[in-house]
Amino acid sequence: MFARLATENAQPTRVIAGQRTLLARTMHDIRYDAVNDEILVANPFAQAIMTFRGGAQGEEPPVRIIQGPSTEIFAQVDRLDVDPVHDEILVPNHDQILVYRRTGNGDVAPIRVIKGPDTQLDDVESIAVDPVNDIIVVAGARPAAAPGQTGGGGQTEGGGGELILFRRTANGNAKPLGIIGGPKTEIVRINQIQIHNGWIIATQPGKYEEQEPEGVFVGVWSIHDRGDAAPRWKLGGPNTAMKKPRGVVLNPAHQELIVADMRLNTILTYYFPELF
Amino acid sequence: MRRDRRSTGRSFLIAVLLAVSAGILLTEQAKQGDMAAGGAAAQRKPTGQPQLVSVEQMPGMTLGMDGAMCEWVPASASGNLLASFAQESGAAGDTTRDGFTDRAPVRLIRDNYPTYSAITVDTNTNEVFLQDENLFGVKVFDRLANTPPSAAFSEPKRVLGGIDTKLEFNCALYIDPVNGDLYSVNNDTVDRMVVFPRNARGNVKPMRELHSPHRTYGIAMDETAQEMFLTVQHPPQVVVYHKEASGEDEPIRVLEGDRTKLEDAHGIALDTKNGWMFISNHGSSSSPRIKGGWFSPPSISVYPIKASGDTPPLRIISGEKTQLNWPGHIFVDAEHGELFVANDAENSILVFRATDQGDAAPTRVIQGPTTGLSNPTGLFVDTKNDELFVSNMGNHSATVYRRAANGDAAPLRTIRSAPVGKQAQIIGNPGAVAYDSRREEILVPN
Repeated sequence: MFARLATENAQPTRVIAGQRTLLARTMHDIRYDAVNDEILVANPFAQAIMTFRGGAQGEEPPVRIIQGPSTEIFAQVDRLDVDPVHDEILVPNHDQILVYRRTGNGDVAPIRVIKGPDTQLDDVESIAVDPVNDIIVVAGARPAAAPGQTGGGGQTEGGGGELILFRRTANGNAKPLGIIGGPKTEIVRINQIQIHNGWIIATQPGKYEEQEPEGVFVGVWSIHDRGDAAPRWKLGGPNTAMKKPRGVVLNPAHQELIVADMRLNTILTYYFPELF
Repeated sequence: MRRDRRSTGRSFLIAVLLAVSAGILLTEQAKQGDMAAGGAAAQRKPTGQPQLVSVEQMPGMTLGMDGAMCEWVPASASGNLLASFAQESGAAGDTTRDGFTDRAPVRLIRDNYPTYSAITVDTNTNEVFLQDENLFGVKVFDRLANTPPSAAFSEPKRVLGGIDTKLEFNCALYIDPVNGDLYSVNNDTVDRMVVFPRNARGNVKPMRELHSPHRTYGIAMDETAQEMFLTVQHPPQVVVYHKEASGEDEPIRVLEGDRTKLEDAHGIALDTKNGWMFISNHGSSSSPRIKGGWFSPPSISVYPIKASGDTPPLRIISGEKTQLNWPGHIFVDAEHGELFVANDAENSILVFRATDQGDAAPTRVIQGPTTGLSNPTGLFVDTKNDELFVSNMGNHSATVYRRAANGDAAPLRTIRSAPVGKQAQIIGNPGAVAYDSRREEILVPN
């Protein structure tokens, strides 16, 4: 954890680490629930959704863990989001979206599962929920298929090259509300997503196998966009200093957009009042 | 504390309910073309029903503010005013008509110094090789290098790094004892094990590369059998290749399966004298054959060196007495019958007998404020010079001890790559970020 105004070689204000935290050295998402003052992290290898106190530090264990055969999580679980208004945790898990009670603890079953052929879900990894507009948006981290290509190593419908929107309360074999995908979107694959004020903010880190891919950006779409929609804003280019943006979060109080760049091992903060 | 949280939650819900009951009914559909300029209001569509229009934190919910309207500014925030100016200029005129925004960041959090994840020594050339997982490269120093306390840091005698090297999240090293070839393992992103000649420097292409499994962490070599062993964190495996393997070569055998007790496998060490293979495990686990994941205590699992398939361990070192806490790289000193463990999260080096099993206490523990240890993840035992080399991810340094050091032992030498006392940020492969609006903190997972 770093102070908002930290720069360059600033020391972290606190660290949560060690065996008792049950964290893996590999983590792919983190969310802060300001309403309940909690931190949420997934342990991908142990298929666990873990909740820590907001002020946790040191080798402090989580206050709650969702893990076990009843959770219906299979294989790796990378990312998640929390809806503090409706008290839910949402987890994308390959071809399904699992929804748990926020206060769930132990081997608990999901309260809703979005899954089935009509969902067009296929290897989705990222998710964001908008409790105001009742929208869920998901995407995958695998590259998009070439035009006309289906299956194989690329993506079919519902893959990394697309943002798929569902009604927040969707359940079962639900059809998406819409899909944002196509060449104008310039999406190759998506990592972390946020929704704020009806804007979808998504990192686009480029091709996985390239260390410094060209054309990386943080894209902004409207929740009402559909089809081959160009991003409303595209934060990218040499001045941004981004090389491979994977994480994004907003700080509305200071009108800031914060990016985690994995190639630089750096956190970059941008002033972006247009979004707020 | 719990009561406070509930109270806070109630306040929030009341605010939400008030917003809902206000019943903002929208009568005009926003045009898509207006959204780019319009913001939130332009996003709403009429439903004829009350809508939740915003979720905002109440002023009194900010820790330390309790309704006060003045923002606390730390004394260290001298750059705040400059940042404000930068914000103003950064927001103007840098967005094209189609929304492309090439805007400079107002702040960067980054560690400008190397962060050492692994270490090895070429006892033929008397050189120390340090794996820099922060700036992605290998730094080479004289074996006897020792940074004076007055120096900001030591300059390496040569540096290997750059886009052509394919070094990225490079986490393990091996030096061929005969020809000095340098083997480097990348962990999570490039999926390559790369090999360089002894004196490689700068941004050069590897002379050989092997497409390694995703999340490869550790490396060990059986020079007699000419076999290379790599650990894979998850799904946990030990993959064994011919030493000269390259390209898309397949492993000659794989150790994997539920009976192996491999669980988030990390370090690997071989005892070719006794025919043993040691693996350190963090304990996060799941299996495609079992529903639901689980956590196990950290462990060192021991196998026959030729083990393959779903072979159970010969024995396991695990339990409270072991003090294992995120065990990283390990090293077997077959000459003295000892197993050394870089015990990352406990800031310690543990030494076990190579024959230990169960809840065994280490025979020696290097730990304490004098040691200079900080998140040690790599180590190398130099039996020729009777020394122990440790790479510390937490403080940009390598520390050297007598091989038999114990307790709060001062290092014989320290290679320091940052000013004294500068702790590393250890931001490694950040895939996400969060913002704690109560404490005004940025949260970064590794």
